[in-house]
Amino acid sequence: MDVRIIHFYPGLMDLYGSRANVLALKRYLERLDCGVAVEEVLPGGGADISRGDFFYMGAGTERAARAAMEDFARYAEPLKAAAQDCAAMFFAGTAMDLAGKTIKEADGSSYEGLGLAAYTTQHGKRRIVGDVYGRTDLYPEAVVGFMNKCGVVTGVETPLLTGLDLGFGNEKERGPEGFHWKNVFASQLTGPLLVKNPKLLETVAAAIYARRGKTLPVDRPVDRWAQAAYAVTEEQLRARAK
Amino acid sequence: MRKFLAIAVCKLGRAVGKLIGKGSSLPGKFALKICPDILRRVELPQHIIAVTGSNGKTSTVEMIAAVLRADGKTVVYNEEGSNQIEGVATLVLTHASLGGRVRADVLLIESDERYAAHTFQFFHPTEFVITNLYRDQLTRNGHPEWVYDSILPALHPDTELILNADDPLSSCFARGREKVKWFGLDRCSVSTDAPTGVYHDGAYCPVCHAPMEYGYVHYNHIGAYRCTKCGHKKPATDYTVTAVDLENAVVTVDGGVEIALAFRSIYNIYNILAAYAACRECGVPSETAAAVLSRYLLKNGRMQTFRLGAHHGTLLTSKHENSIAYDTNLRYIAASEKDCVVLVIVDAVSRKYFTSETSWLWDIDFGQLGAPQVKRVVLAGRYCNDLAERFSYTDLENWSVEPDVAAAAAELKSSGDEELFVVTCFSDRDKILSRVEREA
Repeated sequence: MDVRIIHFYPGLMDLYGSRANVLALKRYLERLDCGVAVEEVLPGGGADISRGDFFYMGAGTERAARAAMEDFARYAEPLKAAAQDCAAMFFAGTAMDLAGKTIKEADGSSYEGLGLAAYTTQHGKRRIVGDVYGRTDLYPEAVVGFMNKCGVVTGVETPLLTGLDLGFGNEKERGPEGFHWKNVFASQLTGPLLVKNPKLLETVAAAIYARRGKTLPVDRPVDRWAQAAYAVTEEQLRARAK
Repeated sequence: MRKFLAIAVCKLGRAVGKLIGKGSSLPGKFALKICPDILRRVELPQHIIAVTGSNGKTSTVEMIAAVLRADGKTVVYNEEGSNQIEGVATLVLTHASLGGRVRADVLLIESDERYAAHTFQFFHPTEFVITNLYRDQLTRNGHPEWVYDSILPALHPDTELILNADDPLSSCFARGREKVKWFGLDRCSVSTDAPTGVYHDGAYCPVCHAPMEYGYVHYNHIGAYRCTKCGHKKPATDYTVTAVDLENAVVTVDGGVEIALAFRSIYNIYNILAAYAACRECGVPSETAAAVLSRYLLKNGRMQTFRLGAHHGTLLTSKHENSIAYDTNLRYIAASEKDCVVLVIVDAVSRKYFTSETSWLWDIDFGQLGAPQVKRVVLAGRYCNDLAERFSYTDLENWSVEPDVAAAAAELKSSGDEELFVVTCFSDRDKILSRVEREA
């Protein structure tokens, strides 16, 4: 199976290892014998959304995210149509803000997001940082990550993480985090979330397969270092959460 | 009365703290509780130099102090690195008379970049050196633009800024200001044509976010940048390294002043140049500055040599959560000539707070260890699996994993005689230094 990954603004939206999510997905799919092409979309460039199997944007600074949105807005309608058609997408860090309806800045200004969902992000002057340990309805294992944001997200009805035992969620401590609808995944958690959570990587890959009417093979690749790293962090954060 | 009491309590607390080996910020904390605006009430020296930035603060401050003292000036500075307002209060009040007069020609302050505005709410520096702004300690700093916004209120209009012309972000502090001096490097032997590293924070203009172009680069995104849209670009420099001869370990400043390097690192060159610029702005002759800075050996222990079995070792302290610090030290290893082994330790991400955050590993260009003289790499510590996962995305194949730092040290001790480079952070370095024979 050939898979086309469309990576939006890799130079602009690339804080703290965000690009590793694409690297991890590409390698995982290649180990499943998929042919994987990654198309990087730059501001002012172009992308044929209809050809994409997976759409990704990583985290950027608040100012970079606003600059990215100026270009990203023109993909709103085709991306909404693709999402409705169960295309897989992942928006990480501040890119999650852009997938929503409105972003309100700390200085009182605001701008419109993609509108894939109805939530709103309000940026503030306080940095919200800390480890996160949470649960998702997608699989039994815990999700681990790190929050590094200045925004509170309201209006999410279908979160990716349904509850946290540690850390700050969309709008409160230990509250739900992220957004999930059909095969759209979004999380404000920083960095390489798909590397840190092998099960989430598998879930995203399964979503790509599902849109093609396929299921992941029974014999799936296991990344032993990623698994071992997850085990250590999961243990550390679980203990911390208690 | 409160002023007198605050100073007395601080002095007493400092004296007691020294006896028990603690207390560089606590006495100041008490003093600020007694008299919150004590730093406004004291009589400060004519010169107040502040140094902040992501990297190089401690080294730059240490070198500035050495030069100024050699020039006959009395300097007080926060040698122990307590760089938030409490530590600064301890520093100032400890060196003040009970009447509140600081007995020094120069007050030199290393300031935490996130808290500079807090520290300088009661007084302002006459000179403010900002070394650079990079990705650093995301677990508390957010990101470089967030830190930029935090520093901005600390910059008083009367303060002269001494800025790194080669850093596209921290150079923005000059916007709308007149009192600015610039330091930077001309194209030289260490320059490349394009940015290096696995991410590119200079890809887009920090002012308008249009694409940027580079004439040359010294490391990562530090070099001669130019925005294709708004004109933000590397300014002309007042203090310039005009030539770098790493083979003979010497740099030339302003075309004629030679400074010998004790440590052949691009970082060291920038720190030396920042210190040189600050001292020259305080009226120190170039000959005095050059003489002190030549072969200056930092006392802050960030680079240490030792023996482990038949290995001669060098500790390259690299701040965790700071990819450019790592990249620079990896570049140093890649440029070394003898066969070597490298031990990378990530055991505690921070010495100050708990976190399991390892995203920053993905911002480090570990591929630099593909140099032929690097015979093998050992990954150790609690987060060795995260390191291994990161390494599995490089072309490197000569690496192995040993979770236990003691076991890794024992294995290295019993095998081989190559040069050994240890790359780790303050939080983890004692875990290896306690197992080696340190050199004087």
